[in-house]
Parts: sequence; structure tokens; C-alpha cells
Amino acid sequence: MGCDIVTVSTDTQFVHLAWQRSEKELAGVRYAMAADRTGRIARMFGVYDEGSGHALRGTFMLNPEGKLLNMEMNFYNLGRNIDELMRKFKANVYMTKKTNEVCPSKWKDEGDKTLKDPGAAMVGKVHEALQG
Amino acid sequence: MSDTAGALRLGQVVPDFELPTYDPVKGDFGTFSLENQRKKGRWTILFFYPADFTFV
Repeated sequence: MGCDIVTVSTDTQFVHLAWQRSEKELAGVRYAMAADRTGRIARMFGVYDEGSGHALRGTFMLNPEGKLLNMEMNFYNLGRNIDELMRKFKANVYMTKKTNEVCPSKWKDEGDKTLKDPGAAMVGKVHEALQG
Repeated sequence: MSDTAGALRLGQVVPDFELPTYDPVKGDFGTFSLENQRKKGRWTILFFYPADFTFV
């Protein structure tokens, strides 16, 4: 899909190695695990917890030009839904190809209803556009 | 970008950065570089989490 997932914590790459090799849940991991020891990058994205030195659960999607298109942040105790992440990713890729379309909340994959050329004619008529 | 600058906002181009990595596919250490991602035309998903050996 032309996308690289990189996980980031304030642990070292050495601990990443040890964790990945010992935790069976991580046996199939195919993404790079990055070490942000100083928290500089976590701070840049606004997810560094100064009190604990940990990064909060933040997810950030960057297009091939490096532009930030999505962000999601959860506190420590809530996990993230990978299906929703993939939905957003597919939508971003789709809208890069179809720049006159926008993906509504129920959009899941190519072929699903989009809104085309949203403009003055669609104001107050989104319901009709979604049915059409 | 200075270390004290405010957090990034949507629509901004993220300044280039590099981080050391462990790559389980290669079984070796490496480097993530945002500049390389741009050069290769790759999308990037950064997935921050609190700590290894905890319950993600």
C-alpha cells in the first residue's frame, strides 16, 4: 500500500529487540520499532507525558510529502482500533487520487458512497447527495 | 524546529527527523528517516505507545 507503520516509545531499540523476541504476541511484527529516548519526537507531536517520561497513545498519519493528515490520541488505558486506522488510511489514499471527492463517516472502501464536488449546490442537501 | 515549539497541527508538513529502530523483519537495528520516506514517496503511520513490556 506504499505505507510504513513505525511504532515509537521512549524505550531504547535494545529493549524493543528484547520485548519483540520474548513476547509471543509480537512474533509476527513486520514494522520498525523506533526509540525516542529523549521524547523529542513525542513532544513534537504533543504526546509526551512530562510527568512519567512516557509517550501517550497517539497515532499520526503522514502523506508522502510529510504532511500530517490525521491524529488520534488516547490516554493510557484505551487501545486503538486498527480497523478505523486502516479506514482512514484507505480514505486518505483514495482522496489523493480523487481530489474532487470527500469520504463521509460511513465510507469504508473504494466503491462506497462519497460526496463529489461538494459546493454551493450541496449546502443543505447532504442527505440527498448521500442517497443519490 | 526547536525542542520547545508547540505541537504539530493537521495540515502542517512535519519537519524531518530520524530515530534509531529495531527492525524485526531484518532482525537488526536501523534508522527511521522521514526525509527518506519523502524521497521514496511512502506514507507513514507513527504509532506512539507508553512503554515496552506493558499491556498495549
